[in-house]
Amino acid sequence: MDMNEIKEIFFQECEEQLAELESGLLKLNDGDRDPETVNAVFRAVHSIKGGAGAFGLDDLVSFAHVFETTLDCVRSNKLEPNQDVLKVMLKSADVLADLVTCSRDGGSVEDSRTRGLVKELEALAKGEMPSGGAAEAPKPAAVAAPAAVAPTDDSGFQPIPFSFDDDFGGDDKTVFEVSFKPRRELYSKGNEAALLLRDLSRLGDMAINCDTDALPALDAMDPEETYFSWTISITTDKTEEDIRAVFEFAEWDCDLEVKEVAAEAAEELPMVPVPFDLSALDDEAAAAPAPAAEAPAESKMAAAAARVEKKEAAAAPAAAAANNAAAAANAAGQTIRVDLDRVDRLINLVGELVINQAMLSQSVVENDTNGTSAVNMGLEELQQLTREIQDSVMAIRAQPVKPVFQRMSRIVREVADMVGKSIRLVTEGENTEVDKTVIDKIAEPLTHMIRNAVDHGIESPEKREAAGKDPEGTIKLSAKHRSGRILIELIDDGGGINRERVRQKAIDNDLISPDANLSDEEIDNLIFAPGFSTADKISDISGRGVGMDVVKRSIQALGGRISISSRPGLGSTFTMSLPLTLAVLDGMVVTVAGQTLVVPLTAIVETLQPEASAIHSFGATQRLISIRNSFCPLVDVGRILNFRSTQANPVEGVALLVESEGGGQRALMVDAIQGQRQVVIKSLEANYTHVPGIAAATILGDGRVALILDVDAVVGASRGQSMKQDGGALKADVSLAAAG
Amino acid sequence: MASKKADKGSLKLVPILDLNEASVLHGQLTNMRGEDVKIDASEVERIGVQCVQVILAAAKTWEADSKNFVFEKVSEAFEKTMQLIGIDIEHLLAKEIRQ
Repeated sequence: MDMNEIKEIFFQECEEQLAELESGLLKLNDGDRDPETVNAVFRAVHSIKGGAGAFGLDDLVSFAHVFETTLDCVRSNKLEPNQDVLKVMLKSADVLADLVTCSRDGGSVEDSRTRGLVKELEALAKGEMPSGGAAEAPKPAAVAAPAAVAPTDDSGFQPIPFSFDDDFGGDDKTVFEVSFKPRRELYSKGNEAALLLRDLSRLGDMAINCDTDALPALDAMDPEETYFSWTISITTDKTEEDIRAVFEFAEWDCDLEVKEVAAEAAEELPMVPVPFDLSALDDEAAAAPAPAAEAPAESKMAAAAARVEKKEAAAAPAAAAANNAAAAANAAGQTIRVDLDRVDRLINLVGELVINQAMLSQSVVENDTNGTSAVNMGLEELQQLTREIQDSVMAIRAQPVKPVFQRMSRIVREVADMVGKSIRLVTEGENTEVDKTVIDKIAEPLTHMIRNAVDHGIESPEKREAAGKDPEGTIKLSAKHRSGRILIELIDDGGGINRERVRQKAIDNDLISPDANLSDEEIDNLIFAPGFSTADKISDISGRGVGMDVVKRSIQALGGRISISSRPGLGSTFTMSLPLTLAVLDGMVVTVAGQTLVVPLTAIVETLQPEASAIHSFGATQRLISIRNSFCPLVDVGRILNFRSTQANPVEGVALLVESEGGGQRALMVDAIQGQRQVVIKSLEANYTHVPGIAAATILGDGRVALILDVDAVVGASRGQSMKQDGGALKADVSLAAAG
Repeated sequence: MASKKADKGSLKLVPILDLNEASVLHGQLTNMRGEDVKIDASEVERIGVQCVQVILAAAKTWEADSKNFVFEKVSEAFEKTMQLIGIDIEHLLAKEIRQ
């Protein structure tokens, strides 16, 4: 494993730590005062700092250090984590995340941002509350007493308080009792208790007692287990913090207690003094291959490697009990990191298995007409098993939407700050799982919608107060599973859609005619029309030239749908329904000119059998179908894909009313519908080449390849066709001779 | 490789006895169970706590078996590490090298 790979793992770990940090801070923000939450937050920053140090990422280290110091004040109850404090902390978490990103991808974080926050954090650590914050937190003792400005005396001199301690402090040494019990992980992460004890001994006069009582006999021991623990008495002029600093990189892998004791009380245990010159240990320590500083970065790998390399000889019956207990404690939430490519390969193979199984079933059924043979029964079990395997494999790629939701809370914070609104983001169902590809692709449209909700949805605090609402707006983001899809809702309690303005804008933009009779719902949905934007001024936040049409297109590209419902004065609700995976698809299997095609179900609005009276000719070759008093262009799929040279008779086929990007509807003519089924998506690009009009392919139970129709492209091509006839634009090339 | 077996009943410890060597050393000592053992730690430059645990567990086992477990020679680094981590091996040292 080279350095770059190790670094990549560090960045992956950073992402996890940042998520942990943010979720902890948000919990604190909601009033959670569990010390474990504070610890988790501290630990996250601490780990990032440790790893960054090993890679020489100085900017990251120095910011993390300041952040960590302030968090330590919270941890030791010197600083009350009230809303004002947490605001600074959340901002710091954002900057830390940016610093991590910059360290990975290059670039830099604005110096002024970092500097400003460092100042704020340092002020917090000193017990100064942020401006506007109530100074309710107890100030740390360190600055409370001597730092107070002393009054000037009559002569105008200001007495300067000082201490002789530093110069004459020979006798002010403190005795600390350190209790140190390493855990197995301490060693497996490359740390060594002996080196920690050596470093500790350098801080002062040390006496040590090693408790070896837990050590079993040779045949009962696990050589990689830890049995020794120590009680150390150290007389030093250093502080408790200095002592803890020795264990900085091992703190989470051992039980450590440091307490100041009265000098006379320190001699209770039989201690062995360690007063000698330890230089004999230094040379080889310097040459030690795994310096402590590198440990955190390699921690997970080292731990994994240790697990893999676990020697067989280590299995010993008596030690097993102790091991089992430790293993049980570790078992909860154990994970492994697997390359995404490997998972994808597995998913691909399972897809093949499903297809193969379907083919096998079909040929057996064809040869076994009564369906009672043992082979047939066995095949049914195989089918069941294959489905289970497919579900389980799909579940590997499934991930909770939590990371995306967490990212949204940052966006709400930043945008709300920018526009001077106070907004709370409430998330629900963050643990709802969905395919990783869907998660990756949902972030962008969701970000856009959140920005919109903050910028346009929620009113200004003044307006809210005037309307008798809480000046703080609420945006709720929720996720849940519903009938095999994931449903994401974005609800704001803002002013709702101003239908008058939307309607006027649509008329101004020629989207609707001035006398169009539209229902409330239809007006609401106009915001998804291409190029629609109701913002009076183009703001930095949401008016970036892209509108909700882009959002809708992204969602549709994922095989999803988006809708809006709005109540004036009470807010709007955006509902997105997305497939749980992009590896399989619910499709309608149709026949076109002797070919079998699959049309994604999400695109189909309805199917109908056209009557001769509903078909109207338009121009030389165009035909329209009349559906409930409106006309919709009729597109012969077989003709547009060049499956046949003349248009088929619509009355003999079936029309699929589809919705394409931009909301345009078309009636796609196919010869017959075979049925609906779930198909495994096979990329055409990866196996053949891109074919216009075709999104992908699948293999049916009879072993034949069926092409999955790219509805948007076909609709686009049908437009191109008519444009050519009207005046010379290029005809979309959807020649499919090779792909059939 | 935690040690080299010079001849029956003797074990020469390798210079670096870190985490990776603990299992090897454990295996070596387990194979020597039942016989008197003389350990040569004269070349030890670095020894980690986990190897010390194995050695002490062996000493304890040998004592229970009423067999001899003796350090014939020890290096300065070995001796000082033992003192540093608070382990008294005085009773395990061969008479010739006891101070």
